[in-house]
Amino acid sequence: MVAVLEENAMLSLAENAVKAAVKRGAAEAEAFVYEGKATTVGIERGQITKSSRVIDRGVGVRVQVKKAIGFAYTNILDSQNAVEDIIAKALSAANASKPDPNWSSLPQRKPYAALKGTFDGEILALRSEDLVNVASKMLDAAAETDKRVFPIEGGAAAGYASNAVANSNGVSGFDQGTVVECSLATLAKEGNTVTPVCFEFNSERSYNVNPEWVGREAARLAVSALKTKRIETRNYTLVLTQFALQELLYYTLINAIKADNVERNQSPFKDKLGVKVGSEVLTIYDDGLLPGGLRTGAFDGEGVPHQKTLVMDKGVLRGFLYDSYTAKKTGKESTGNASRAGYLSTPTIEATNFHVLPGSKTPDELMSEVDDGLMVSFLQGAHSSNPVSGEFSIVATPAWKIRKGKIEHATRGVMLAGNIFELLKNVSAVANNERKMGQLVAPWLLVENVRVIGK
Amino acid sequence: MQKFGAEYAEIRAQKLSKTMFTMKEGRVEAAKQGIENGVALRVLVGGAWGFASVGSLDSDALANAISDACAMAKAASHRLKSPIKLAETKVLEDHVRAKPKKKPSEISIEEKMETASLTNKVALSSDKRIKSCTIDYLDLTGTSYFANSDGSYIEQDKLYVWSRLTASALQSGVYTFSREEIGSTAGYEVFDQETPEVVGKRLAERAVRQLKAKPPRGGKFPVVLGPNVVGVFVHEAFGHLAEADIALSGGVLANILGQRIASEVVTFCDDGTVNGAFGSFKYDDEGVPAQKTFLVKDGVIAGLMHNRETARKFNAEPTGNARAEDFRTEPIIRMRNTYMVPGDRTLEELLEDAISGYYFKSFRGGQANLDGTFQVGVQEAYEIVKGEIGEPVRDASFSGNTLETLLKVHAAGKDFELWPGRCGKGQTAFICDGGPHISVSEVMVGGSA
Repeated sequence: MVAVLEENAMLSLAENAVKAAVKRGAAEAEAFVYEGKATTVGIERGQITKSSRVIDRGVGVRVQVKKAIGFAYTNILDSQNAVEDIIAKALSAANASKPDPNWSSLPQRKPYAALKGTFDGEILALRSEDLVNVASKMLDAAAETDKRVFPIEGGAAAGYASNAVANSNGVSGFDQGTVVECSLATLAKEGNTVTPVCFEFNSERSYNVNPEWVGREAARLAVSALKTKRIETRNYTLVLTQFALQELLYYTLINAIKADNVERNQSPFKDKLGVKVGSEVLTIYDDGLLPGGLRTGAFDGEGVPHQKTLVMDKGVLRGFLYDSYTAKKTGKESTGNASRAGYLSTPTIEATNFHVLPGSKTPDELMSEVDDGLMVSFLQGAHSSNPVSGEFSIVATPAWKIRKGKIEHATRGVMLAGNIFELLKNVSAVANNERKMGQLVAPWLLVENVRVIGK
Repeated sequence: MQKFGAEYAEIRAQKLSKTMFTMKEGRVEAAKQGIENGVALRVLVGGAWGFASVGSLDSDALANAISDACAMAKAASHRLKSPIKLAETKVLEDHVRAKPKKKPSEISIEEKMETASLTNKVALSSDKRIKSCTIDYLDLTGTSYFANSDGSYIEQDKLYVWSRLTASALQSGVYTFSREEIGSTAGYEVFDQETPEVVGKRLAERAVRQLKAKPPRGGKFPVVLGPNVVGVFVHEAFGHLAEADIALSGGVLANILGQRIASEVVTFCDDGTVNGAFGSFKYDDEGVPAQKTFLVKDGVIAGLMHNRETARKFNAEPTGNARAEDFRTEPIIRMRNTYMVPGDRTLEELLEDAISGYYFKSFRGGQANLDGTFQVGVQEAYEIVKGEIGEPVRDASFSGNTLETLLKVHAAGKDFELWPGRCGKGQTAFICDGGPHISVSEVMVGGSA
C-alpha cells in the first residue's frame, strides 16, 4: 500500500514553488501539484489476466514575465533542485516568448464551496483482490445471461486524484477525489455471425458500483445485436442514448460553447447569445459542482471556483465557458472551466459536467412516441465530424430499428449524416433517465428527421 | 523476483525531456518544458500480469513497485483458466543512439517558435477568409532503458519531433476546417522539407477550397483514394484487425491466415524500419527488434502483428509491435509505419476506372470495429465526373466492411506517400501510414444530399 501525499505537503509544495518563482523574477507565478493513483484489474478475452498500479505525481509552474508566459513541469518531487530547475526553465521559456498584450493577470482568490460525495476513503483503500471480486461478479453475470456472449475486454478500477494550486495573487486550494469504475466490452457469436462490439460500464465517486448490472447489460446488448436486418436509406426518428450523445456532442456542441473558439471564429455560436439555437425541450448547464458528477470538484485548473453556468435555456443560447485568460480578454468573469492534464499542461477551456436536464417522460413513454425509427448508441467516427461547422457523417453499429414503440431488430453498419446544430433544433422530446458518462450528464433524446444511409 | 515466484520480469526506465507550445494566430499561449522520469515494472506470476509504474528512479520506490507488481499479479491469477506464456526471443544487449542532423535540444525555443510563427503567417496571409490558425509543437528527447529476466539489456535514445496545424475558413456562414500533421524520428531537419511555406500553403488552400464545396450524396459509389486516405484505410480498416490481440478477441482475421482476402493488387506491410519515419524504432518495449512485417501479400493474408504473448498463442514469431507510450503504460500491440505497396497505374488511369464517383484525397479521422465495419472521415474530397476530377465536396466520409472492400480494390497507382499520425488504443502511439493512389469499385458514402 503506497501512502498518498497529505494536504499540507501538497499545498506547501505549491506555495513554495510560487514564492521561489517570484523571488527569481516572475511578475506572477502559479504552481499546480497533482497526484494520481490508479489501481486496475483487467479482463482480456473472457478472463482476468492482469492488475496494475500507476502512481503519478508532479508539479507544473506557470510564470509571467513582461506579459509573456512560460511553463515547466517535473515529476521529480523529492528534490528541491528539480523544482528550482523547472522554475528556471519556466522563466527562460517566458523570456524567450513575445509579450501578449491581452494578458491581464492570474485569477484572484475566491472562496470554494464545501463538496460532498467526491471523496470516498473506501475507494482509496481498494486492493487488487477487491477489484478482482468486482470484475468476477461482472464476468459471472455476463456468462449467466447468455452463453453466446464473449467478453473481450474490460475490468475494474479504483482511482484517486488530488490537486493543490497556488498563485502569487493569493489563490491557495487543495482538493481530492475518488472514482471507481467497472466496464465490459462484449460481442456475441453464433455460427459464423460475430456482432459488433457492445459496451456497458458504471462509474461512481463513492464505492457503490453495480458490476452485476454491467455484466448483464453488456451481455444483453451483444445478444440483441446477433440477428440483424438491413434498413432502407431515408430520414428516421432517432432515439439517441447517452453513448451516442457523448460522442456527438464532445466534438461539436461542446467545442462551440468554448469562449476561445467563439472569439476566434471557430464556433457557429458567435453573436448568437440570446438566440434560439436548439429545440425548446433543451436546457443545458455546465455544472462543476453537480453532486456525484464525475467532473465535480471545488475548483478548476487555475484555482477558480467551479460553478453552475447556464448554457442553453429552452433552446436559447445563454452562455459560454471561460478560463480566466479568455474572460479577462473580453471583459467577462471566468466560469471555472480551465482544465489541466494534471501537472503536465497549462490550462485549456473544457466543460466540467455538461448537464442536459432530464424531462418527465420515462424511456418507455419516449419509445412509444416512435412509430418508425432507430435507436442509436454506438458510433464510429464521431471524431471525424467537422468541429467548426458541426457536419457529421458517421457509422452507427449496432443500431436498433424501432417500430410502433418497440425494438424490432438490430441493424449494422448504417451511416448517419447531417449537422449537429440542425439536429439540436429537431429534438422533440427528452426522457427522464439521466446518467453520467465522462463529462456528459444527460437522458435519452428523441430527434426527428435524421438522414440514415442503409444498405 | 525469485523471492516472489515470478516466471518473468521486465523493467523499463525512462528519462525524458519535452518542449511544447501551442500557437493561436501567432500568439504563443505558453512555451512549455517538461521533465518526466519514471519506471515501469511488469511481472508474470501464476500466468497473470502485474504492472507497477512509479514516477521515480529511487531504489526504495523500485523495491516497493516490485513487490506490489508481484502481489497484484498473484491476485489477478486466482481465476485464470489459461495462463499467459511468452514466446522465446533472443537475449540482446545493445545501445541505440539517435543521430539527428539537427538535434531538437540544440535548437533554441525561440527558433522553434519562429518557424511556427512563419507558418502561421503564410496560412493567415494567403487568403483573408482564413480566420484562425492553431499550431501545436512537441519535441521529445531522452533515453529509455530496458532489462528483462531473460538477460536482455537495451538502451535506446528517444527522439520525436511533431507538429499539428489546423486552420478554419469562413465565408457567408460556411465554416471549413483543415488539418496537417508533421512527425519525424530523424530530427529537427524535418522542417527543412516541411517548410513554413509548403505546410502553411497546403493548410490554408484546403480550408479555402472547401468553402465552395458541396455536401456529398449518400449511397454506394466507386472511389479513388489518395495516399493519405489509403494510409488511414490500411491502418484503421485493416491494420487494427491484424493486431493479434484484436484478432484473438473475436476479430474477423483470427482464423483465415493464408487465405485470399483481397484482390491481387493488395500488399500491406507494417514496417518499423523506415528510416526517420514517425513510427520507426529499433527495439520494441519487450526488447524485440522491429522489422518489416507483411500483413497481406498479393491479396493473401500473410501474418499478424504480435507481442511475445500473442506470438506464443499463434505459434508465430514476435514481430516487434509491443509498444508503451511511456512508463505509465503497459506495452500493447501497436502499429508502426503501415502502408500499401504501390502498383503500376497513373492517377489518370485510376480516375478513368471510377468514371463517376468520388476522389477522397485527405482524411480527417477513421475508426474500425471488430466485425470489420470501418469509417473514414474525409477533409478533402472531389467529385469524379467522366473520369476527371470535378467539384470539391465537403465533410464526406465513407464506410464499409473491410473484407468486402478489400476484394473491391481494383487497381493501385505507382506513386507512394507516407504520412505521420497518432493512433489511440487506450494510449497514444506515434505512427505513419500511407500507400499509392488506389481505385475501389464500391464503398458506401455518407452524405446528407
